[in-house]
Amino acid sequence: MQRTKLFLSEAFSSIRSNLSTAIAATLTVLIGMFLLGLFIALGTWVLSYTNDIKRQLVVNVYFCTPETCESGKDPTTAEINAVRQKIEAMPEVKSVKFISKEDALKEMERRNPELVKNLTSNPLPASYQVIPERGDDVAAIAARLEPVPGGVEKVNYGKKTADRVLSVAKVIGGIFIVGSLILIVASILLIANTIRLSIFSRRREVEVMKLVGATNWFVRGPFMLEGLITGLVGSIFAVVLLVLAKEVALPAIINRTTLTNDEVHAMAFPLIAVIMIGTSLAVGAIGSGITLRRFLQV
Amino acid sequence: MRAPAGAPMIVFEQVTKVYDPHIVALRDVSLTIDKGEFVFLVGPSGSGKSTMMRLLLKELEPTSGRIIVGGRELNRLKRSKVPMLRRNLGCVFQDFKLLPNRTAFENVAYALKVQGDSKREIRTKVPEVLGLVGLSSKMSHMPDELSGGEQQRVSIARAFVNHPPLLICDEPTGNLDPDTSVGIMQLLYRINRTGTTVVMATHDREMVDKMRRRVIALDDGSVIRDERRGGYG
Repeated sequence: MQRTKLFLSEAFSSIRSNLSTAIAATLTVLIGMFLLGLFIALGTWVLSYTNDIKRQLVVNVYFCTPETCESGKDPTTAEINAVRQKIEAMPEVKSVKFISKEDALKEMERRNPELVKNLTSNPLPASYQVIPERGDDVAAIAARLEPVPGGVEKVNYGKKTADRVLSVAKVIGGIFIVGSLILIVASILLIANTIRLSIFSRRREVEVMKLVGATNWFVRGPFMLEGLITGLVGSIFAVVLLVLAKEVALPAIINRTTLTNDEVHAMAFPLIAVIMIGTSLAVGAIGSGITLRRFLQV
Repeated sequence: MRAPAGAPMIVFEQVTKVYDPHIVALRDVSLTIDKGEFVFLVGPSGSGKSTMMRLLLKELEPTSGRIIVGGRELNRLKRSKVPMLRRNLGCVFQDFKLLPNRTAFENVAYALKVQGDSKREIRTKVPEVLGLVGLSSKMSHMPDELSGGEQQRVSIARAFVNHPPLLICDEPTGNLDPDTSVGIMQLLYRINRTGTTVVMATHDREMVDKMRRRVIALDDGSVIRDERRGGYG
């Protein structure tokens, strides 16, 4: 306790007497962490967006109608149930929804009333809408229904659209992961380097401390605390800046109503803030601890 | 560092120090310095004086041989005990080695803080020792506001604040003009009279001749002369 107080007062007096370096280090942390937070928010939002689009991928299993069935009649209930069992047994499938001929007509009426107006009978087939666990599995599900079971006319998963959506999502995901890794490494190196420089400029001080009988921890303690304080202050400012960006700048740039969708959202903001602060604290303390090692060999 | 009575303060036994790759700084040096002595270590640059000082502080390890300081064998001293050794050795350097961002008071106080002295102890001991070196009125000055001689006094105060049995001075007057040097020497002499052993490396021929103390002369890493009441030679 006594020692913590001593370290704290040493750390603060050292920040005071090296104010310009301390401010430079804090600003570096601020910039690094702001970029990191921004990228996490943006990246997770994009990932969530692509996931949402992937969720819209479904496999439609259309049954035959009297015009197309080999038997010339509607498929039997037994056939329909058999297909359902087959689909539900697949591990990739999340849920199956039956759309009767009437449901299909109603949906068609809703979308294109003119087309339906003059119909005398219902030409639309009944179908199963199969929702996969993961959007990527639509092709696999369709393949398992090949050759088509009895009573089924066609299995459709919008091959072209689905393939495009999936490959774009993959590219976006890849860019986000690589980009955020680069950014994390870059901001950590940037911060660690600033700390290195500030300690390097004080290496003679470290030597003197060792020569008058300071233990390694006695020298290291205040330096690491200084790193912690720098990291904390810098990242808190970065969080504040990010809040401002989110609440003020973003709505001004983007018309939010067009993008608002309950299913699409970035990582929760408090979590991002915790990641930012945690990263900079760790880098601040560990960075100064490691840098000091070589100067402590006196 | 309580050596038994009558035991020597410093013993070098056949100490050799070779820097990589083949620079021999000390060659088979053996010598004994008793408690309470005032010893000059003289010799040209590169003769090994500073190496001896740094060996005493365990800043360096000898290549071979034994060094005993205050009854403690340095070769056997664990690295974690080195801070304890240094707290019991005062050291004064040519370039003062003061912490630049701290006042004279804080510089001296640092030597006490590292060993966990309380604020109250610091508040009594520091003004006392700064008074001893004649700097009572400049306690709150930063090093760059002090003259060279004053800075050296601060560093002597820091070295002496624990009243160590041994004071090691590496050319303490090397950066100072002759008049200021005399003042520093008088101060070291007074410290010696309190019973503190003083070992001082120096180039200052006039000073050595005047003091008539023990002189150990080094040349090219070897002891070439060791006189009880010597001159610079």
